Amino acid sequence: MTGRYFEDIKVDDELEPLERMPSEDTAIDFFGRGNPTNPAFADAEAGRRQGFGGALVPGLLKISWMAEYAGRWAGPEASVKSIRVAFRRPDIAGKPLVLAGRVVDKRQEDGRNVVELEVVTLADGQPSVRGNIQVEVPSRG
Amino acid sequence: MLQTRRLELSEVEKSLITDEHRATIGVKSEGRKVEISAADASRMRDLLGDTDPRYQDGTGIAPPYVLAAIDPGIPRHMMPSVLPGGLLTQMEWKFHRPFRLGEQLLLEHSVIDIRDRLGGRYGYSVIVMIQSTYTGEDGDLVAESLRTLTQFDPGKARDNS
Repeated sequence: MTGRYFEDIKVDDELEPLERMPSEDTAIDFFGRGNPTNPAFADAEAGRRQGFGGALVPGLLKISWMAEYAGRWAGPEASVKSIRVAFRRPDIAGKPLVLAGRVVDKRQEDGRNVVELEVVTLADGQPSVRGNIQVEVPSRG
Repeated sequence: MLQTRRLELSEVEKSLITDEHRATIGVKSEGRKVEISAADASRMRDLLGDTDPRYQDGTGIAPPYVLAAIDPGIPRHMMPSVLPGGLLTQMEWKFHRPFRLGEQLLLEHSVIDIRDRLGGRYGYSVIVMIQSTYTGEDGDLVAESLRTLTQFDPGKARDNS
């Protein structure tokens, strides 16, 4: 895992896409103990009863994937300060999701080096979750 | 077409949000202690394939997404239930400092807004916004979350595929 420095980051830099494959078991493994809260996360039939095409991929899992993706890109000396996402379309277990992103802003704020990322999850090439992530990164100096 | 439009307008006039629902706005939940557990952190880290050395065993630090484990949802009795279906449609997390394994945080929720929404996949739906705060043992604000839930009637979905 390599780190990034503020000076080397440019607006419009792209994050390397990363594929994730959610399964019906992923939600159970992710939440553990007595969760998940919605039966449709682990049961395709329950998902269909709620009007979806199968088991739903939990939003909390997707936001976690996005936070990890941003942290992975920024490196171990950086820290994710905030993440804001909009779930645009439900994602169904068994369909791959591709995480993609780019740098939309960089600035110095109260002595901190702040980088703003726009991150999406793509299902069949279409965005299902859109997010903005603020990361604080180190300086070379 | 005109008939459908009239029907939608009459639905707007009949908001399903009652005074009882609105009374939940601004009410803070009773605080609940939640623990940043090493088991949660380790399980989630492995599932997400996170190799960040800061969060590996022995560091005492949990990755930020462990928030998903300590707050999977607000207590059912606090949620104003207007329509039978519910989906998380927006979420925001803010982190003020790293989570320490084993620390206890005070989790408090409050409903900050409820409103009607017309259009989209369900025709009429209801938006509920909930804020949650995580306070450390020293009284410091460690993290915050803001979630937006859309309540809907599954029977009125136009296209859920």
